[in-house]
Amino acid sequence: MEEAMAEAKPARRVNLRRLVIYLLIAVLICLFIGRVLSITAIWNTIVLRPVLNFLVLMSRYFLGSFGLAIVVLTIIIRLLTYPLVIRQIRSSRALQAVQPKVTELQKKYGKDRQKLNQEIRKLHKEYGVNPLGCYPPTLFQFPIWIAVYMSVAQALAYTPENLLGLERQLYSPWLLQNTVPLNDHFLWLDLTRGNIGMAFLEGISLWILMRMGTTGPVTGQQPSMNRVVLWGMPLLFAYMAFVLPSGLSLYWVVSIIVGIILQYPITGWGSLKMPSLSSLKRGAPQPAGNPGAKTRGTGRGGDKAGKAVAPKQCGAKADAASSKGEATAGDMVSRGDKVGHEEPGSEGKN
Amino acid sequence: MFNTRRIWLSRTLIIVVLLAASVLAGCMGPRGWPGTASEGNTLYVGTMDGRLVALDPVSSIEKWEWEPASEQPANIASGNLTAIEHAFLSCDREGVGQFKPGYLYGAPVVVNGMIYIGYFAGVVYAIDAATGNEVWQHEIKSHIASGLTVAGGTVYVGSSNGNVSALDAGNGSLNWEFSTQGAVWGTPAVVDGVVYFGSLDHSLYALNANDGKEKWTFTTGGGMGSTPLVVGGMVYIGSFDHKFYAVDADTGVQKWVFQGAGDWFWSEAVYGNGTIYAGGLDHDVYALDAGTGTPTWPEPFRAGDGVKSAPVIAGGVLVVASENGKIYGLDLKTGQRKWEFDGIKAKVLSPLYAAGGKVYINGQDNRLYALDGATGFLFWAVPL
Repeated sequence: MEEAMAEAKPARRVNLRRLVIYLLIAVLICLFIGRVLSITAIWNTIVLRPVLNFLVLMSRYFLGSFGLAIVVLTIIIRLLTYPLVIRQIRSSRALQAVQPKVTELQKKYGKDRQKLNQEIRKLHKEYGVNPLGCYPPTLFQFPIWIAVYMSVAQALAYTPENLLGLERQLYSPWLLQNTVPLNDHFLWLDLTRGNIGMAFLEGISLWILMRMGTTGPVTGQQPSMNRVVLWGMPLLFAYMAFVLPSGLSLYWVVSIIVGIILQYPITGWGSLKMPSLSSLKRGAPQPAGNPGAKTRGTGRGGDKAGKAVAPKQCGAKADAASSKGEATAGDMVSRGDKVGHEEPGSEGKN
Repeated sequence: MFNTRRIWLSRTLIIVVLLAASVLAGCMGPRGWPGTASEGNTLYVGTMDGRLVALDPVSSIEKWEWEPASEQPANIASGNLTAIEHAFLSCDREGVGQFKPGYLYGAPVVVNGMIYIGYFAGVVYAIDAATGNEVWQHEIKSHIASGLTVAGGTVYVGSSNGNVSALDAGNGSLNWEFSTQGAVWGTPAVVDGVVYFGSLDHSLYALNANDGKEKWTFTTGGGMGSTPLVVGGMVYIGSFDHKFYAVDADTGVQKWVFQGAGDWFWSEAVYGNGTIYAGGLDHDVYALDAGTGTPTWPEPFRAGDGVKSAPVIAGGVLVVASENGKIYGLDLKTGQRKWEFDGIKAKVLSPLYAAGGKVYINGQDNRLYALDGATGFLFWAVPL
């Protein structure tokens, strides 16, 4: 009887957090369908107004500097999303760890796709792998970017309409009366305009963060998509920092710098670390962040293993776009062969 | 492949989020609130899509129209407004990367057969009122989000970088420039050789019109986005600090302040029979004694929305527009509603214009409405 109850317990477990989120989404959809709320109203209430009010309030207490307010917001957001980032890295590693088994399944059921999918699903379930575990930080960051962008436009009053809109978005008339208009300059930046210096900082810092997430140089053996991401994303974001208001690129750059600080204890300098002289003498190009790769590999050589598993890591593109690099810890394990020997969930030992 | 499909789905979701966010981020850009002016038997009307149209005020038949050349937003090249910024921000129906000729805030000015008009992109134009041909243009290194004033052969214009520029009305050359610490979004007023304007830096300025030298400044508790009203040796202006001020035009000393409003004053006030009429964003229209600031109506008139358009007096009636498109005709002495017109199904943000007992209203629906000031009767409404 007790055994039966013990077995039944897990089945009755309800994920309350999920339930609340689903209920909230359902309520919002109902309000939207009932025309009680518009998409804009939902967006303003949930995302824009909190971010905007926070920035304006912080501006008041940080020497009237909207730039400093953006920096404070960025640091808080990064710290809040840190647990998600950790989960992202774990997902990436777990996904990576089961990859050899997936490859085996592919060989075994290559022609029977239905069976293959079934087996892979079973495998993921068995090892607790969630292929979508890499994406929450990404999804969380996008609305924040847009809110910061809109806040810059509205709070710094790019147009009169923005200023009039601000009057409706702020929670307190006191805040509006005593803080607006805000100082639209921070350091050398006009926060309402694109800036080439920020574009440069953005590109360099993102490149560093992304390279920290990889363990070896980008070579011809790296899957071409990853190579494009490693170089293309910094260039893309540098361009965006050049053309969009620098208030947004300030958010990005600070976010990346905080990301570098948070990621360093996990990945070290990754492929940015210079190879040692001794390794150069031996003529053995080893992934800088994972010197033992060759000897601890799958038996097929570090690069080969990395190549084989790369497509299954947490998408570097999405990672770069979310924290722009934190989850590229997945890359660390993609080229690092040690995962080929570890069991899922043993990432803490790395 | 199961994984591939899930990852593909999640990436699709990200793209959808991005697109949705982009849509939400839209409409952050300028739309403008063009106004109307007249000289002789012609109305000159700015449109929401940046054209200038000359109309017959009786028949509403178009005489000519003018628009800046398509390469007009010269400030894009000079860095004031990048193409991507514009495309990402704007709500243009033409689509991404397609530029409207310009956005207009405020009314054109017609003086001696010349029309002067300033565009958000930062270009001031002089146009021959008879032919609609461009005479000169002058580029200001910032956005223009207000109307212009022309007095004594000089065009005065405020801009978003906090400057007020004085241009020669004959050829557009720069006479002088004066800098403030906040955007100048109210039209400067020029009376007796003095330029008065409010800035978002919380100050009201008085400058010598000849050389731009500062005469005095008066500081309020908030920014000022409206045009000062100068009458009887006094300057009247409302501020974002919810107060309405009367300042001595010669000395800049405060004469009185009205503190009964619940929100910003955004639009210019109007004067009539010793009374100042001002609408606020708190939906209320106030009548204040010009000498003392004492309210002259038993209670403010409650409009249906915030008052962002400058009111006018036409046909012996105070005509006020609220943002939601409702137009009210109010008794000057009591503030009682004489008529109401609710035939505009769009926002009204542009300054109202009165001429010959008629009131002309530019709606955000890009239509011009002509009402009888005394009765609110609609003479015509014409799409621009």
